[in-house]
Amino acid sequence: SKPKDPFLGIAPEDDKYYRASDVIRCKDGSGKFNQAQLNDDFCDCADGTDEPGTSACPGGRFFCRNAGHSPVYLFSSRVNDGICDCCDGTDEYDGQAKCPNTCWEAGKVARDRLEKKIATYQEGVKLRKQEIEQAKVAIEKDEAELSKLKKEESVLKVIVKQLKDHKEQIEKAEEKERLQKEKEEMQKKESEEKANEAKDKPDEDMGNRNEAGKHSDVENNDVENNHDKIENLEGSPADQDEAGDKLADVLDNDDGESDSLGSEGSLHNKVEEANNAKEANEEPIIKSETNVKVDKKESSDENDNKGNGVTENTEGLSREELGRLVASRWTGEKTDVESAETDSKLDNEDHEDLPKETKKDEYEGYASETDDESNRYDDDTHKYDDEDDVDEEYQEDEHDDLSSSYKSDSDNEPDLSDNPSWLEKVQKTVRNILQVVNLFQAPVNQSDAARVRKEYDESSAKLSKIQSRISSLTQKLKHDFGPAKEFYTFYDHCFEGKENKYTYKVCPYKQASQEEGYSTTRLGRWDKFEDSYKVMLFSNGDKCWNGPDRSLKVKLRCGLKNEITDVDEPSRCEYVALLSTPALCQEERLKELQQRLDLLNVELPANHDEL
Amino acid sequence: WKKEEFRTCHQTPFCKRARSRIPGSSSLIATHVTITDGDLTAKLTPKSQPQAKPLILTLSVHQHGILRLKIDEDASLSPPKKRFEVPDVVVPEFASSKLWLPRLSEEDNGLASSVYLSDGHSAVLRHDPFELFVRDDNSGERVISLNSHGLFDFEQLQEKSEDDNWEETFRSHTDRRPYGPQSISFDVSLYGADFVYGIPERATTLALKPTRGPNVEESEPYRLFNLDVFEYIHDSPFGLYGSIPFMVSHGKTRGSSGFFWLNAAEMQIDVLAPGWEAAAESHIALPSHRIDTFWMSEAGVVDTFFFIGPNPKDVLQQYTAVTGTPTMPQMFSIAYHQCRWNYRDEEDVEHVDSKFDELDIPYDVLWLDIEHTNGKRYFTWDRALFPHPEEMQKKLAGKGRRMVTIVDPHIKRDDDFYLHKEASKKGYYVKDSSGNDFDGWCWPGSSSYPDTLNPEIRSWWADKFSYENYVGSTPSLYIWNDMNEPSVFNGPEVTMPRDVLHNGGVEHRELHNAYGYYFHMATADGLVKRGNGNDRPFVLSRALFAGSQRYGAVWTGDNTADWDHLRVSIPMVLTLGLTGMSFSGADVGGFFGNPEPELLVRWYQLGAYYPFFRAHAHHDTKRREPWLFGERNTELIKDAIHVRYALLPYFYTLFREANTSGVPVVRPLWMEFPSDEATFSNDEAFMVGSSLLVQGIYTERAKHASVYLPGKESWYDLRTGTAYKGRVKHKLEVTEESIPAFQRAGTIIARKDRFRRSSTQMANDPYTLVIALNSSQAAEGELYIDDGSSFNFLQGAYIHRRFIFSNGKLTSIDLAPASGSNRRYPSDAFIERIILLGQAPGSKNALIEPSNQKIDIELAPLWFLRARAPAVVTVRKPDVRVAEDWTITFLV
Repeated sequence: SKPKDPFLGIAPEDDKYYRASDVIRCKDGSGKFNQAQLNDDFCDCADGTDEPGTSACPGGRFFCRNAGHSPVYLFSSRVNDGICDCCDGTDEYDGQAKCPNTCWEAGKVARDRLEKKIATYQEGVKLRKQEIEQAKVAIEKDEAELSKLKKEESVLKVIVKQLKDHKEQIEKAEEKERLQKEKEEMQKKESEEKANEAKDKPDEDMGNRNEAGKHSDVENNDVENNHDKIENLEGSPADQDEAGDKLADVLDNDDGESDSLGSEGSLHNKVEEANNAKEANEEPIIKSETNVKVDKKESSDENDNKGNGVTENTEGLSREELGRLVASRWTGEKTDVESAETDSKLDNEDHEDLPKETKKDEYEGYASETDDESNRYDDDTHKYDDEDDVDEEYQEDEHDDLSSSYKSDSDNEPDLSDNPSWLEKVQKTVRNILQVVNLFQAPVNQSDAARVRKEYDESSAKLSKIQSRISSLTQKLKHDFGPAKEFYTFYDHCFEGKENKYTYKVCPYKQASQEEGYSTTRLGRWDKFEDSYKVMLFSNGDKCWNGPDRSLKVKLRCGLKNEITDVDEPSRCEYVALLSTPALCQEERLKELQQRLDLLNVELPANHDEL
Repeated sequence: WKKEEFRTCHQTPFCKRARSRIPGSSSLIATHVTITDGDLTAKLTPKSQPQAKPLILTLSVHQHGILRLKIDEDASLSPPKKRFEVPDVVVPEFASSKLWLPRLSEEDNGLASSVYLSDGHSAVLRHDPFELFVRDDNSGERVISLNSHGLFDFEQLQEKSEDDNWEETFRSHTDRRPYGPQSISFDVSLYGADFVYGIPERATTLALKPTRGPNVEESEPYRLFNLDVFEYIHDSPFGLYGSIPFMVSHGKTRGSSGFFWLNAAEMQIDVLAPGWEAAAESHIALPSHRIDTFWMSEAGVVDTFFFIGPNPKDVLQQYTAVTGTPTMPQMFSIAYHQCRWNYRDEEDVEHVDSKFDELDIPYDVLWLDIEHTNGKRYFTWDRALFPHPEEMQKKLAGKGRRMVTIVDPHIKRDDDFYLHKEASKKGYYVKDSSGNDFDGWCWPGSSSYPDTLNPEIRSWWADKFSYENYVGSTPSLYIWNDMNEPSVFNGPEVTMPRDVLHNGGVEHRELHNAYGYYFHMATADGLVKRGNGNDRPFVLSRALFAGSQRYGAVWTGDNTADWDHLRVSIPMVLTLGLTGMSFSGADVGGFFGNPEPELLVRWYQLGAYYPFFRAHAHHDTKRREPWLFGERNTELIKDAIHVRYALLPYFYTLFREANTSGVPVVRPLWMEFPSDEATFSNDEAFMVGSSLLVQGIYTERAKHASVYLPGKESWYDLRTGTAYKGRVKHKLEVTEESIPAFQRAGTIIARKDRFRRSSTQMANDPYTLVIALNSSQAAEGELYIDDGSSFNFLQGAYIHRRFIFSNGKLTSIDLAPASGSNRRYPSDAFIERIILLGQAPGSKNALIEPSNQKIDIELAPLWFLRARAPAVVTVRKPDVRVAEDWTITFLV
């Protein structure tokens, strides 16, 4: 129906546009209409220009002034739909719904909220400034340290080089002596042997036997290789059979002997798992709902089986085991058996500190992945290759961790303290040694040699410490600390938040994890800032069965403390957390908020002016 | 899909036995042929053993060309037990349509007897060997026949003696089979048929391919056995969640006929390729233009219905006269549903809900899957995630939206759970073969299943939906029945063992395919009871059986996010509609897996035309609400949903048509064009009602689509209004914006072009009439309106108009019976716009009568949301009321 006011729904800034002439153009240029067609409840402009006050145009916008509160544009689909959308009630005028004007109350609430927010921001802006100042100083300090270390490094390098040369020369001399000695001894021995030659006959047989043994070893290897080849040729079906067997083995609590097992370690695990499975069967609730992590071996095998018509051995299962197994196809959850497996792993887990846990965890996650991989494509050899990769990664991490923990170490160590004399001392000492030691003296003076070696070991250890510190500092300074370096203080901090039974740990520039009891799941490694420093992204976390690798987005909000306020998993394995921090309390934003408040106050309705 | 977990025919003894029989092996002859209580009755005995226990044959005739044939053991000879006849599927009204046969006529010198079936049709019973056929008396030609190939076999029940070992095992499951083999099988021939259709549910083509005979490679019969199939594949004769043992034939010369076997045991059906019987001696000369089929069932009785057609819609009318017409759904339930396993908590619900509003995308229903419950105890809430269920529902209801929660048949065996306590105390669970409560594994773990075959238990179950019993429920909450095949994770073939016992000693084998049906029925009854009979129920079920159309909607289960599954959803939905189950749809986007944005968009575009339009996803998939794929895709999805909302008045009218006539909302082309052979096996395009033709886009990055447009009249592109000739296969350009959809010339469709948050707010919005003129510048269409939610329409509280355009004049005629009832549905809604397609711009004015007003005619866009929408002849603001009679004359 038509509104009484022909200019309903028009924003003040548009007033002129509509009143200027009798013929009005559609804003998108698609046509024109006359005054009589304005708000006549019939759509003439595709963009809704002619119907700002009715629901006739699906693309239209309705303006409500909402005096006392903020003005709002509504979709025209909200006009006369029986639901009060504008606090001033102007969107409902056809009599279906009675909409009282609630702008004053709503506006008051909004103003209060805005005022609070502004207060937070005012405080936050200060904190942010302080942090930026501190960051500046700290970065300068870091940089100074770095350049100092680099200088030291170059000096020390020279010293180490000298010591090394020296050491090598000593060693050469020693080697020479040794060879000489050996030669003498050899000659002595030879003469003795010649004397004994006659008694030596039976030894030959022994040798032959050894030869035969070697030969059979080779044969065994061949057989194994062939076996591998066959498996490869058969491809996934064979592997899946194995997977089936494996499953059955575990479930049956058999002896756990299975060809598919890669190493003794995993064999051992299997048996243990099976034992645990037996125990866990008593407990009916599906535990796995909680712990999403875990290598869903069975399940991912299932996945592989899809459509292949491969026999999965379910025959030997108890009724309950069968039920759980079939349910797990849909849920992707572990069956009881599997959850027992996890538990056993968790029990063994060492959980003293974050880095260690992470390593362990990563190892597990990776190992399970490797299992999958190897089931699918690879023979045992490749599997080990994969494990090598793991080690590499693991070391990398270790390196990271060392460097971050290094700082605290260095504080206690007088060696690397800011006292500049230590290097000079070293230089002096080394000079002395080098002068004293006579390289051409034979035999080598043992105490001199020991001194050189010791000095060399110490200096090169120092050098490598310095280098490691340089590398960690360089790494650190390479990071993006934000346009005003406002995130610098995040570097060595982790933020924790609790959500239900989980503890979430977010370590900017490093990683983020979810912990439940003793189990840790990595949600992601540090990736980058997004959305102009409003979001921190952690990606490539632990693998999710049937899902993406875990990832975490941390949305940043202005707040007075660094604090995780909310964690959520809106999509499977994609986590979102809220972190309030002064780093986000920007001055420009504060100005905007103040302007908004000013506007709200200007728009106070007349009848409330006296308040 | 785990093939080896399911039985093949070969692994199913009754199927294997039946399939190995050769034509002519049945030696039954009909004796004692007579009329008893208005029915033809006879005894069937083996010719060689006249002393053997006879079977009793009863033939009854019903109005509208329906013949019912029953064959059972002779109750007077006290068989070991009464064989199971499926109760509560045939509607009570059907009994009253019976024609009392006055006499039978002798034919063929006493070798056959015939009775009147309908004008121009007789049913003929040949005595030796026994054969039954329906005959068109005018042409003398056969329509349908049974046992023409002598494959009829009926294994009578036996008392077990010590020597008998009837046990069957399948993968560590043993079936005791206490009454021995009891299967039934027979051949049915459909004459003048080019194709046969029906017998859902399976993922395969609409026209059923032969399963046996020359050139048939995969020789598995079509299986009807309700099963929960994990990751089903898209082209397989294998049976899925539901079973409707109803087959429809169609051919160019004669038209359609239908055959329905009311039997809830496992059934296997062969469609036989021509020449299948070549090796056997043919003992009757049959016309060659026919399709032979072979029906096998593990148990039950012969209770079959023959429908003579001849129009495809007649067959539907006849079939639904027996099993009931589809229920009239609430308006909200035919709008768009947003579902996911799972919307996790109240915050998630609120977020999704508000996001739709933020983007101005309409939706009507938000769904909660199993995780909303307290430990899979249905009727309860996980209070940590959903502490305020009532408040949450009220918030949605404030925007006219509903919520659906899941209630499955497996009840957690937990002594602290009131439902379990009650059910076990009252003895309401299905019993295992030794008489204890059957204990199977499903979501909650150890579970038992209410025996909803028993009406008392159904009534008890129904009471659980009252607001007092279902704590946290409100009037805007509706129900979803899943897993009701029933799914039993540790049972044979992931279902209940066949020797499990139901009310009255009925073995599960006899009733299996109807278990979900009774459960669905009990749930729907519960919602009716809850609303004191004023609120139409909405219950979505996965399992289904003949008659399920009376209780709600179904969907095609756990499909997969790939193009093949998008493609197969159409034959699946069409087949369901063709067998009475009109209100169906597939999970938009595909349940398993992550659809590429393009696939998701195409699925929305197609799904907008499913009778049941719901997006759903597995919990391991990435989130896929409409706004998660970039702005462009959001726009495209929004557009697709808008199409559905614009067409809601049309869809609602079609649902009413289905409700009164059984003719489905979505139809195969040949239902509208029965003599156009090019349509018979087309299952990539379909009709929505009689006015819209839609074809999905089933391939990636499609630039073109071949669309066959049937009939002699033209078709107007729904978006552009461009006319395309009929009886031509058009190669059309395709854009990402829409899938091909056309309005048939000669039709009028009522649309609503204003979009709201949900259908609820659209109730009083004005209409747009789109008139697509045919070659004689005429068109007509219908519009049905009621309150969209109550049963008042049964008392006449509705508006039913017919719009007729001819000779330059549009007339609105009242189709509601002039009962003098003052319970008419009142509506102030008016018509805001009339669009004429196929009309050259000419007239400037039109005259409205009776008000005698002149109004403007102009050129205006066909759709308003499209920037470059082509302009078409448009009557501006006639503002006539939809409830009233009027005419609009175009002035030259």
